[in-house]
Amino acid sequence: MIHTTEIFPGITLYHFPDSRFKQSCLSLQMVRLITKEEAAMNALLPAVLLRGCESAPDIRSITLKLDDLYGASIGAQVRRIGDYQLTGMYGSFIGDRYAMESEGLLTPVVEFMRSLLLEPLTENGGFRKDFVDGEKKNLIAAIQSQMNNKRAYASAQLLKDLCANDPFGLPRLGYEEDVAAIDPVTLYSHYRKILKESRIDLFYVGEQDPQVVADAIKTIFAGVDRDYVNLPAQTPFQGGKEGKRVETMEVAQGKLCMGFTTPINMKHPRYHAMRVFNTLFGGGMTCKLFQNIREKQSLCYDIGSGYYATKGLMTVSAGIDCDKDELVQELILGQLQDCCDGNITEEEMTSAKEALISSLQGVHDSPSAIEGYYLTGLLSGSPETPDDYIAGIRAVTKEDVMEAAKAVQLRCVYFLKGVQ
Amino acid sequence: MEKRYYPHWNETVWFEKLPNGLPIYVVPRPGFTKKLCYFVTDYGAIHTAYTLNGESLRAPDGVAHFLEHKMFDLPNRDVTAEFAALGARTNAFTSYDLTAYYFSCTENFDKNLRLLLEFVSTPYFTPESVEKEQGIIGQEIGMSTDNPDSQSFELLVKAMYRNHPIQTPILGSRDSIAQITDKTLYDCHKAFYRPDNMLLCVVGDVDPAEVAKAATQILPAPDGAVITRQESWEEEMTPVTPTVTAHMEVAMPMFQLGFKCQAPEKGAEAIRKEAIGDLAAEALFGESSALYQRLYEEGIIDGSFGGGFETVDGMAMLLASGDSEDPEAVKDAILAQAAVLLQEGIPQQDFLRMKRSALGRRVRDLDSFDSLCFRICAYHFSGYDYFRFPEIYKTITAQDLLDFIREVVRPERACLCVIYPKDSEVTDK
Repeated sequence: MIHTTEIFPGITLYHFPDSRFKQSCLSLQMVRLITKEEAAMNALLPAVLLRGCESAPDIRSITLKLDDLYGASIGAQVRRIGDYQLTGMYGSFIGDRYAMESEGLLTPVVEFMRSLLLEPLTENGGFRKDFVDGEKKNLIAAIQSQMNNKRAYASAQLLKDLCANDPFGLPRLGYEEDVAAIDPVTLYSHYRKILKESRIDLFYVGEQDPQVVADAIKTIFAGVDRDYVNLPAQTPFQGGKEGKRVETMEVAQGKLCMGFTTPINMKHPRYHAMRVFNTLFGGGMTCKLFQNIREKQSLCYDIGSGYYATKGLMTVSAGIDCDKDELVQELILGQLQDCCDGNITEEEMTSAKEALISSLQGVHDSPSAIEGYYLTGLLSGSPETPDDYIAGIRAVTKEDVMEAAKAVQLRCVYFLKGVQ
Repeated sequence: MEKRYYPHWNETVWFEKLPNGLPIYVVPRPGFTKKLCYFVTDYGAIHTAYTLNGESLRAPDGVAHFLEHKMFDLPNRDVTAEFAALGARTNAFTSYDLTAYYFSCTENFDKNLRLLLEFVSTPYFTPESVEKEQGIIGQEIGMSTDNPDSQSFELLVKAMYRNHPIQTPILGSRDSIAQITDKTLYDCHKAFYRPDNMLLCVVGDVDPAEVAKAATQILPAPDGAVITRQESWEEEMTPVTPTVTAHMEVAMPMFQLGFKCQAPEKGAEAIRKEAIGDLAAEALFGESSALYQRLYEEGIIDGSFGGGFETVDGMAMLLASGDSEDPEAVKDAILAQAAVLLQEGIPQQDFLRMKRSALGRRVRDLDSFDSLCFRICAYHFSGYDYFRFPEIYKTITAQDLLDFIREVVRPERACLCVIYPKDSEVTDK
């Protein structure tokens, strides 16, 4: 279904033809191995590029340009997929038939992206200092305001411990002190380097012909000096800290997070069973954790588990009263033991499978979901179509789920505790 | 069912008002596997004062949200598990003026639809289940207490309104929900979960006639009960206090700035006023405005800044919010820019570009099942057909925006709420 076109070495267009939507999307990302040295710079880059370029030298000009393109949007996008950090832009624009005049929108959107990428405003051999300083401040504020969301904060603290020796423990946006240390000249030369060497993936969803999109993309990179450096494959999990860490803060509700490892990653034969186990154990409102710990015992408001398939990690998080962490932790492990022992009902199996299948069937229902699903698959080295994935889920048995549950091992615990 | 076609959007919509009083919208989405269904009652957190067959009742604060949680109980059945077994995801939410129950699925649509209609129309409450829910919602209130976004909005509206019930949190308080009994819930369900006070909306590749058939078979016929409720409240156009502050675990001060507006009536005028308010916000401080650029470049605002026209039954405000080291400066700048706009006017070219952009974003928004369902419901309860939005847009002029700004963006109408970091030195002014 996806047309793949290598535009230049290391620059690939993935084209997903679809005429059902009223909008099209085009994303562009440079794919990097995440490292402490460059994570903060990669996170900062797209925000600086979106501050201004030769054809639109400030944020107001950029907005006016996008308003002219019928309220198109081009946003900075920084993602993490396993060992990789993706830095780039995501654009959305309406289909030509909804434009009042009949001009096409693909060409002007691509041309505008080209200008933003290749004609940034520079001074003294670096990016404009005011742009860099302003966006550093914003990025630092974004990193700090993770603290506003206590659940995200606690999960990030857990991952930091769990992945102390693995690049997966590095935060997607880098560390605050590394952002603070960035200067405009270093950032600009880093940008020149990654533009030259990185794998660059573009993803298009819409009704234009693949050749038309590929020709438009060529115009972006025709003048770029490239020397592509091959991107290494994803690596297995490297391990981290063990034990329990408690942090106190003035919050009304405590956040308990538990980190588990499993040899089952995306390429493992039991991958689909692990997915079903994770959903049955801690996904949605029918899972064991929600039903038993929240509904039956009223011990928490939110509870759930997450599975990071590229690395083989599972986490559980729960919002609880501050004196209940030991009790809730025991109950969570009790539910896990139930899964290992096969105390799993037919309904639980069906609900978990149906929830997974339903979300996979929904992949093709929005351009951003299509982009996210296929790009993640391509970059994790497991490009399974939703249909193949669904077939894999359907074949999972209760015994498979028990085996997946037994493979999971608790490594560390983090508890954010309130002080009143 | 009646078939309506809207050339602006290239959209077809099926509509019918059933004999039991329920309006139904079906928006076909051929080629999509997902189906989304909203079953919504025109009843939310603010509707606590009402009469049922002549008897005046006053329900405890937080009852609409409490009722939403308890609707998922049926005798000896687990509704959520039944949806899950049918491959559907289900959930619900309560806002100030409506309560929505919904599911999305790819298969078994008719069974899921029937289950939704059945559980929302079947009240089943016991003293034990009410008591258990008081514990769960108590936890939810605790979570909301730690959330700076909801806390700052609640503080803002408390500082702005004297009589309108928006000053009470949607969840209520631990004290107010302690007063809720099974009888409270039965009364509220009887009063507000009636087909003629509700709406069914489906987006997806389904047979519209089957939707109407299920709703006719499952929902009760009208029982002749007479319901009234308070829908307007006396409000001065000045806030109770012009500023309110609090300290929480946040990294940077965050603010919400409200300007009180007259509550719009229902119907086309309400929608027109909302569109004017949103466009005026864009002209004054939106991303395409000179003010936004200046404040952003000076580092006074960041990408979190934004705002627009907010309306709930019986109230309306122009709202701007975001993170800032200097929220007072943002407020002063908005007031000063309003004066500049009123003096210089809005160039026609800028105005047309804003309209073009707003309409383009609406077109893109139609790709989102959730957003479309929600807007259809909200517009319906405001007395207007969502898909006729472009007709309203055509009638709006730059002068309408200026008139709105002249009336609303004034110091005496403003109220500023700021949440400062816990360890900061700033004290209440």
